[in-house]
Amino acid sequence: MPGEGGSDAGLPGRHLNHRRNVSVLARSVGNAFRNKVRTAAVVAVLAVAIGLALAMLVANQAVGAKVQELNASVGTVLTVNPAGGQGFEGGGEPLTTGLAATAAAVPNVSAVVGTSSLRLRNATEAAAQTGTGGQGPGGQGGPGGQAAATLTTSLTAAVDAGTLGNRNQQANGTTGSTGSTTTQPMRSLPITATGIGAEVDTTGKALTITEGAGLGDYTAESTNALLGTTLAEKNNLTVGSTFTINDQTYTVSGLFDAGTTFGNNAVYLTLPAAQALAGLPDELSSMIVTVNSLDNVASAKTALQDALGTDKADVTQGQNLETAVSSLGSVKNISFIAFVAALGTAGLIILLIMVMLVRERRREIGVLKAIGAPNRTIGLQFVLEALVLAALGSTAGAIIAAFASSGIASALISTNSTGTTTATTAGRGMPGGVPGGGAGFPGGGAGFPGGNPFGGASQLLTSVTASASPGVIAAGIAAVFGVAIIGALVPALLTARIRPIEVLRGE
Amino acid sequence: MIEVKNLVRTFNSGDRTIKPVNDVSFVLEQGTLASIVGKSGSGKSTLLSLLGALDKPTSGDVAVNGVSLAGMPDAKLTEYRRRDIGFVFQQFNLIPNLSAVDNVMLPMEFAGMRKAARRQRAKDLLEQVQLVQDKHDRRTNRLSGGEQQRVAIARALANEPKLILADEPTGNLDEQTGDHIISLLSALSRDHNTTILVVTHDRALANKTDRRFRLQQGKLTEDQAHHRTPLPVTA
Ligand SMILES: Nc1ncnc2c1ncn2[C@@H]1O[C@H](COP(=O)(O)OP(=O)(O)OP(=O)(O)O)[C@@H](O)[C@H]1O
Ligand SMILES: [Mg+2]
Repeated sequence: MPGEGGSDAGLPGRHLNHRRNVSVLARSVGNAFRNKVRTAAVVAVLAVAIGLALAMLVANQAVGAKVQELNASVGTVLTVNPAGGQGFEGGGEPLTTGLAATAAAVPNVSAVVGTSSLRLRNATEAAAQTGTGGQGPGGQGGPGGQAAATLTTSLTAAVDAGTLGNRNQQANGTTGSTGSTTTQPMRSLPITATGIGAEVDTTGKALTITEGAGLGDYTAESTNALLGTTLAEKNNLTVGSTFTINDQTYTVSGLFDAGTTFGNNAVYLTLPAAQALAGLPDELSSMIVTVNSLDNVASAKTALQDALGTDKADVTQGQNLETAVSSLGSVKNISFIAFVAALGTAGLIILLIMVMLVRERRREIGVLKAIGAPNRTIGLQFVLEALVLAALGSTAGAIIAAFASSGIASALISTNSTGTTTATTAGRGMPGGVPGGGAGFPGGGAGFPGGNPFGGASQLLTSVTASASPGVIAAGIAAVFGVAIIGALVPALLTARIRPIEVLRGE
Repeated sequence: MIEVKNLVRTFNSGDRTIKPVNDVSFVLEQGTLASIVGKSGSGKSTLLSLLGALDKPTSGDVAVNGVSLAGMPDAKLTEYRRRDIGFVFQQFNLIPNLSAVDNVMLPMEFAGMRKAARRQRAKDLLEQVQLVQDKHDRRTNRLSGGEQQRVAIARALANEPKLILADEPTGNLDEQTGDHIISLLSALSRDHNTTILVVTHDRALANKTDRRFRLQQGKLTEDQAHHRTPLPVTA
């Protein structure tokens, strides 16, 4: 008899709501699997939409981060190189400190940093080559056509020459060594030494000093030097150690990390020290001009070019970079639109399927109401059922995205940056198609030596795949659940309008 | 106590208006076991749906213990159905993908009862309607018509309602099982002061009730001078 069955055990109460919700959830899960074939079909379609959304989000985030990085690195920086310093053959006049003063006087220019590039060869290797080849590499012009002194050092390069490096050295350093090619010793890449007037690298980016301190007074001749981390490691040097360039002893005052292998195979000296080593006290290899704001970059560039004269200097903004940033920007926009569209599609799929389910279960909803289910319980049951579908779709979608992300991102980027890649290669004035590998030397016109901030599409792709982080995926899935709730809310609210009398209607 | 006053429900079907409930009035004291007989299509189910607040009357009113259902907000009507009414549907209306026990547990869940308690009570109720133990956890769409009917009765009793409205509760049962259900309902009205209104085609059942009504073309009449036949207590 009712009443004997422990009716006191379960008094109704608000604090019991969560128990009720557990049962609602169990029913929702059960309902989601009621028609297994249909559920599988819905989940498959959802997975495609969600997978696409996640892949687009990953691409968007990766490209966004890259654009920010590029803008931050060369946003307001102009590079001045000697006129005619493009391509293999170069001529014209070198830049002088006088021109640096002219540049500094141009409106909106906030800083001018002169650099003087030196090419360092390991003393032992150089001697060996001189022995076999007859003619040493000393005094050779840089591959970019720009004069740069080659000096000997006690340092050993941290990077092997590689195919391109060997080819370059053969062309440059062993011109007279006919017949001796069979006995070429193993070579390493020359080390780039740059005299700088401020604590920036050759692209104008502030140096990241990981150990020790800066050079001290950058404008005075000093025996302090900054070493790239890998170069220091290779030579077992730390802060306070010494090494020599042309028999002159230098002290390591600090270590820096440029972020790339080639960028870290470099030495920074003060500008006067480098000029003294080169024996060209008044000359500059390049000038790094910082403009006070991004808006003034274009006008300052024109003004600077006029002030210096086209016969003397080339002012470059890293045009290729600008193009790259804008084409990457459009990739970012496209991927964002695609993300929103795919997300919207997922929401729409959920909306439609839930509307269909509500219609199909009209009578059953009537039964629940007839036996006293509150509207919110029924609504919640349908929202939870939609979330079960969204969860299944997200799981499958995340797997799809994991496989499709890098493919989709590279497809987007390669179609949008083909022109850019070509421009970069040409502008660098180096035969190297391998980013960074051939760009270790700053002589090549508009090159970005070492810390080359734009290495073409392939470098971008590495960072694109690396950015497919769990955080981005989680954010994407959170967005999917948000959309699923919105999509399920409409049909859930529709259930409130179903009247309990529906139970008496035939199906 | 349930008071029905001038209750009317009309339907528009095409150009005709049908009145399955046409000016029905009666009063049932608490604890009465009553029956309604009538031809198919005479409006029995329609009348029950009005009493159970599943549907709203075209005019007239139903008052339960002095409280009128007319003008009551939907949330209150839901509460009324949950707390005060046990409805046995003619078509059973069980949730097909839930087990017998889960179906019986539903009204208790909506009333906020603890899971363990409602499970225990659901099993007790299924025992009372003589559903064998090994069918308690079977999905109701895998039960026979008679078994489903008994699950529907058990579900109607779940929240110890004051009023049970049963639409042909023995229609799918064999005589013996039907008799058992009748004794169960009879005992409820007698021992728990539950008001029970049963729609039936079964003369024998009707004869065992305190009051007998007849619905003909929307009009309700009562058979006079009737005495309830004593029943053996089985439960
Ligand atoms: N929603 C509706 N719209 C139109 N007509 C309806 C509706 N619901 C019921 N009817 C009609 O009202 C009349 C009474 O129906 P009801 O279901 O109450 O009959 P009943 O007495 O329960 O019959 P049975 O014994 O066969 O179950 C029937 O003629 C039916 O067609
Ligand atoms: Mg009927």
